[in-house]
Amino acid sequence: MADNQKTSRRRFLQTGAAALPGLLLAFRLPAQTKTAAVSNGAKNFAPNAFLKIGFDNRITIFVTRSEMGQGVRTALPMMLADELEADWANIELKQAVPGAAFKGIRLRTSGSGSIYGTWLPLRNAGAAAREMLTSAAAQKWNVSPGECRAEKGAILHVPTGRRLTYGALAAAAAKLPVPEKPVLKDAKDFRFIGKPMRRVDGAGIVSGKAVYGLDVKVPGMRYAVVERAPVLGGKLVRWDDAKTKAVAGVLAVVPVTKGFSNGVAVVAENLWAAMKGRERLNVTWDDRENKDFSSESHAAELRKALDEEAFTTRREGAVEAAFAGASTKLEAVYEYPFQAHACLETMNCIADVKTGACEIWSSTQAPEQAQQEAAKLLGLAPENVTVNVALLGGGFGRRLQIDYALEAAELSKAIGAPVQIVWTRADDMKHGFFHSSTACRMRAALDENKKLIAFCHKTASSDLSVLGPPTRDAQKYSEGWVPWGAFDNPYAFAAYRSEYAHVDSPVPTGPWRAVGYPQNVFARECFIDEVAFALAKDPVAFRLELLDAPLLELGRLKIRRAELRRVVETAAEKAGWSQPLRREKGVRRGRGIACNVYHGETLTAQIAEVAVTDDGKFKVERVVCVVDCGQVVNPLGLEGQIESGIVWGLSPALHKPLTFKNGRAEQSSFQDFDVLRMNEMPRVEVYAMPKDTRPTGVGEPSVPPIAPAVANAIFAATGKRLRRLPFDLKE
Amino acid sequence: MKTITLTVNGKKRSVGASPDTPLLWVLRDWLGLTGTKYGCGIGACGACTIHENGRAVRACQIALAEAAGRSFTTIEGLSANVAHPCQRAWLEEDVAQCGFCQPGMIMTAAAFLRETARPTDAEIDEAMANSVCRCGTYQRIRRAIRRAAEEMKNGG
Repeated sequence: MADNQKTSRRRFLQTGAAALPGLLLAFRLPAQTKTAAVSNGAKNFAPNAFLKIGFDNRITIFVTRSEMGQGVRTALPMMLADELEADWANIELKQAVPGAAFKGIRLRTSGSGSIYGTWLPLRNAGAAAREMLTSAAAQKWNVSPGECRAEKGAILHVPTGRRLTYGALAAAAAKLPVPEKPVLKDAKDFRFIGKPMRRVDGAGIVSGKAVYGLDVKVPGMRYAVVERAPVLGGKLVRWDDAKTKAVAGVLAVVPVTKGFSNGVAVVAENLWAAMKGRERLNVTWDDRENKDFSSESHAAELRKALDEEAFTTRREGAVEAAFAGASTKLEAVYEYPFQAHACLETMNCIADVKTGACEIWSSTQAPEQAQQEAAKLLGLAPENVTVNVALLGGGFGRRLQIDYALEAAELSKAIGAPVQIVWTRADDMKHGFFHSSTACRMRAALDENKKLIAFCHKTASSDLSVLGPPTRDAQKYSEGWVPWGAFDNPYAFAAYRSEYAHVDSPVPTGPWRAVGYPQNVFARECFIDEVAFALAKDPVAFRLELLDAPLLELGRLKIRRAELRRVVETAAEKAGWSQPLRREKGVRRGRGIACNVYHGETLTAQIAEVAVTDDGKFKVERVVCVVDCGQVVNPLGLEGQIESGIVWGLSPALHKPLTFKNGRAEQSSFQDFDVLRMNEMPRVEVYAMPKDTRPTGVGEPSVPPIAPAVANAIFAATGKRLRRLPFDLKE
Repeated sequence: MKTITLTVNGKKRSVGASPDTPLLWVLRDWLGLTGTKYGCGIGACGACTIHENGRAVRACQIALAEAAGRSFTTIEGLSANVAHPCQRAWLEEDVAQCGFCQPGMIMTAAAFLRETARPTDAEIDEAMANSVCRCGTYQRIRRAIRRAAEEMKNGG
């Protein structure tokens, strides 16, 4: 029986104290939270959904986001434990899963929102418990609560030095009313927040014991792989499974057609038998209307849409008049191709459907949706569907989709047994919810005094992953801030317009780390450089000039230009923008800058240094990233997320995209859809602006600026403008 | 089914799987050693890297029939109590993000350091370039390898 079937007992252990001063958590997959309700009886103090304090002093913190590498199992408990004045060594973690205990509490992990979405709820949860424990102690001693202080898992009566642990006070505290507005700590008193904390689940990871979705085993579990329609939107007609069923270990061949997928599942005693069986299947498909679709023809349609009427999502000043009277007009088209997520852990899910109930084990970013949609598919009430969230071997937006959960639910019901559906790498590469392909037309008008008088950004793509189905309602696009990065262009122009043209495509698209930003920020930040060059201005100085303007308010969005200006200035200073680069024979070096504001919140500026050799090859040698994300909760986590986003954004600049031909994805693994490797990794320096304001997200904001920073650096080195990814200097 | 015997983490194991089953699935699904990860199945990502006589091999590229009589070490057998210098360095440098690739990264690095005690940065990059980390923890992996090399040099 695997770890997930055992009672969850996670304690912080000290490992090799001399070499490892940090506290490490022995990780096991959480038990189901059903146990939370059961144990909420008499043995602990549970003032809210996030926290339980046992009479044995053990503190259980429920993590209300999925761990996918962004470090929520470390950072979220830090926030609660800080307010609680908990002893970090006594903390156990449990993964929150959808159900009564977390009704109304968000578990979905998206939008770089794990920290900012839990910052106040978790601090309030910890502070409320701290106040109740303090009151309980004061009552016991018959003293004023003002004479008591919480300290490392105990309440101290300051004048007498008396001390009672949280465990000893838990029973009394549980009888007190929960304060509605507990007093939060001052930033200067933070004990965990803002201090570097190593990952609490690191030991499990480096010893191979960490349990990802793919590693979960359930008694009696079958394994399955699904042969899905090869052409986008194709349908299953019939299949011949005679050869499949001859493979030892194959148990059943079953259609899977009720959720998003359309295909045939091969169910077997073991995964290898299922894979072999699938190879021997003979399936007849109805390819339907997309059999001639190609990414090349789609890209041509996107470019064509740039010539046609589109929805204006933001307009300021007299744009047309400015162009009519311009002495110089600049125009350029930028393109960003389809991308796959390629999470290293391929999609997978276990479902066990029984009469009137279903239990799911999955590495998902969207447990509530998995519960709701699986319930709908099975005709069950949502509360009868239990979703256990395992560790995610990467999420990046792909695991906001729940197609794999529906496949598993449908299949388990059909075979009457628990089953794990595993996607092979090729399945994952060909049947994803991809990053849409985009084309942007940028236009700028300059007057005879060499002054920028108008700037336009028009985007064509099929991406509506965050808006829902296409609409003819321009207002809806504005309310959705579309196109991200163009609608919220931070610069102050005399006249500005952003437009969006929706182009249909049969390719399933969805959030891909930073979603709408990478493609539009690439176009915007490169074109700003083109304008700067035309005006003979320094790219940093030009940006500072365009940001020297009041706060920009776009509905709920607040673009803090003055603060972005400081971020750009700091990046220039840290990178040594005005210093000459190393000279070397046969190598041309250059620096490029790009900056962005993520939904009016996190501000980033990046400066990339590239070296271009005479054979047309280039290497990104160094990246300086400055970020303003309010109060940093875990500096180690922040630095990791920024580095990670830079790698994410650099991969499509250096490697081939996902392409479609004859209605099918052409790539199947890392040999044809490669991602950044160690030998391509630049030296990355991360600097956070010192702030004590509310934290903002850092999971995505470092993705968008890197491609334009590199393109601008290549221009600085060579004079060559690159307007599409991946960057090819020989093009 | 006829069983095939091999040695894993110092123990003789007899497996009744089809002889063409990749060692990766034998480890994961027959022997319960899920620290060896599936990333691609074609030897392109390095997530399933294990050791044979201290050298790095990819478990997805060895069929059970070929593994007969041979001896392998997986991440679970690399050390007791995360004591290998690479594991310690990985924790010290807080390398992991999602962590899925890291067992393979550690096994690759451990084998590399066994043969190259004093690696240059270029040698580290070259040795690790066949492994994928989609979270992009490469900078910390570099640091961890340098730290582990230092510790091994000092007899740690």
